[in-house]
Amino acid sequence: MTDALKRVIDALDVETFLVCESEEEGKKLALSMMKNLGFKDVDLVFIEFIGSGARIRARAYLHRPGDQYGWLFAEEVKVND
Amino acid sequence: MTKKVLLSPLDPVHDIGLKMIKRGLDEAGLETKLLPPDTPAEEIIRICMEGSFDTLLLSRTLGYGVAELLARFVDLADAAGLRENVRIGIGGMAVRPEIAAELGFDAGFGPGTTVEEAVAFVEGKEYSPQENEIKKEKVDISSPYTYQYKNEKIGNLLKKITKQIIGWAANKTSPGVERAKLRENEWDYQAFLKKEDDSEFYKRYAQLCDQVPKDFYLQGVMHPKTRELSKDELISLNTYINNMQKQMRVKKLQHTRKLPIVWNQYGTGCPFMDIAHVKASEGWGADGVVHFDPSWGARTEGFLNGNLTHQEDGTVITPNNLYRIHRMLEKSTLWQVRAHRGLNTAETVVLAGKIGADLTKINICYGSLAAGTDPARLTIDAFHAIKYAAKYKMPFDVVTNEELTGVPAYKAFAGMLIVADLAVRLGAKPILQPLFAFSPEVMVGGQMDDNYIDFNAAKIYALRSIVDAPIWPGAPIGFLTQTEDRVQSSLSTALHALLAASLGVDAISIASADEAYSGGPISIPSKIDTLRGVEESFRFLGLAGIKPTENAQIWQEQMVRGIEKVLSQVAEQGDFVQSLYDGVLGSKEEGAFPGRAGYNTVREE
Repeated sequence: MTDALKRVIDALDVETFLVCESEEEGKKLALSMMKNLGFKDVDLVFIEFIGSGARIRARAYLHRPGDQYGWLFAEEVKVND
Repeated sequence: MTKKVLLSPLDPVHDIGLKMIKRGLDEAGLETKLLPPDTPAEEIIRICMEGSFDTLLLSRTLGYGVAELLARFVDLADAAGLRENVRIGIGGMAVRPEIAAELGFDAGFGPGTTVEEAVAFVEGKEYSPQENEIKKEKVDISSPYTYQYKNEKIGNLLKKITKQIIGWAANKTSPGVERAKLRENEWDYQAFLKKEDDSEFYKRYAQLCDQVPKDFYLQGVMHPKTRELSKDELISLNTYINNMQKQMRVKKLQHTRKLPIVWNQYGTGCPFMDIAHVKASEGWGADGVVHFDPSWGARTEGFLNGNLTHQEDGTVITPNNLYRIHRMLEKSTLWQVRAHRGLNTAETVVLAGKIGADLTKINICYGSLAAGTDPARLTIDAFHAIKYAAKYKMPFDVVTNEELTGVPAYKAFAGMLIVADLAVRLGAKPILQPLFAFSPEVMVGGQMDDNYIDFNAAKIYALRSIVDAPIWPGAPIGFLTQTEDRVQSSLSTALHALLAASLGVDAISIASADEAYSGGPISIPSKIDTLRGVEESFRFLGLAGIKPTENAQIWQEQMVRGIEKVLSQVAEQGDFVQSLYDGVLGSKEEGAFPGRAGYNTVREE
């Protein structure tokens, strides 16, 4: 996890619109996109598919309750992060 | 034999969803029984078997431990032999269809499941969302109106002013008027569709243009911010559109009302991206879309030609671009091509009319006082644009955006009423467009210190007391109230939509949640944000209403008196164009400056 991501208190949401043919395809694309971005604990908070694609809100949990929180131990963010 | 359905929530408290489904099943003539929340799984299974039920519908709202709970229920149902005769469906906020299928349920209904879907499952029918698809039709908001004046004094003043404008315009023309005439008389849309040679037309056309279009037609020099879309891109776009149109469906936003219809603007710069934006707008419920052209287009004499994409805000008007966007619109979508503020006003109306636009946008006062076009030039061009709008049966809105520079609403309204009156006399159908805005006038005057309701309501009351005409607040509603925060921005738009609905206006233009963001093009999610917000505001309001305070009445009366005063001054002066130069309809002190584009280009025929 980069230093900046350690500062994310709990989750990072990605809001976007995906061109797809169905809600099912939209779900798969969204989750795969989040995994491709390097996140492990991912979920789809919201999806609405109409016609040309799907409005989505995908989520990556960086810290769930009970985890050891990166932001408790975070140092100054490195510029190249 | 009537099918028997047992419904049971697997929650300690939540059973609303099942109650709604029970009502749907009862209305469909099925026999139903709903168990109370927190009934143990063993008891549900026993009741189901003893009562010889055909279907068991379970629900689960709470998210914790769902998989374990459902797996246990399936195990118990299997062990009891329930599954041999009973189909089991599971739904609710915590249920995902894929988990239900994995656990062996006959059906899983996630959030957003309709009652019809559950009824279809119980009846063993294939659920067809198409049956519940919303059928939308185009609405002509101008048709119910008579344009009769309720305020006789104002009606008489307007008659005097517009008679003078008609006399003034009778023997005048401009390069813009001449291009519009050429486009009207010599450019054939059917020939364009058949890709017939139009080089002769454009040779003559170029002579009426200024340097940028002239260089384009005669030297092949492209405008610096544009490029031609490639053949491969055009072919791929067709495939994209064909695939998408098969699955298109649309929402209706107004809930139990018919109006206001909701407009969304597009103009990303690229017709392809515009198409993607428009399809999202249509899907999420916009009733109409507005073509937004680049600002330099208003200050350039003449249009370019071809399939052009543009790297900055606003999509270049060319026959190809308009044709491509128009042909992928849903049949129910209203299409407005705005002409209003520049040197191509009249020709835009001709082109839009020939290609099939439903509405256009024409004004004189805003364009010449706050958008950079010379008052005399815009008056003559708008005069002809209005006549073409009448010919092509395109109603048009008359904006009052000069308010944004600091011109008070009553002055902007006086100008709008002059253009509207002129339009009616020329056989067109104008639509009044007051701003719903946190304008400089109210920032200084304090009329919105308490709320955004009263002053906006006063505008509608004032216009209604003057003339029986359609009203379309814009553009967009909530101007200068939105911030970069998407929740605040969407909510502000939604609340202004709610006010508009409550005031019974005919249409509204809404912004995206990116309204206040200026760092780049707006995104599709930001368009969907406000459409969803507006949908929810209409759902919230229904046929109920908002009650303004007594200030709305006081400010309405002040506005009407102000409008009368301004119109009296213009009528007395006996020269509408000169009164624009002189600041009668918005002065330099109020931030209104007569434009320079097209200065000295009006000539007598």
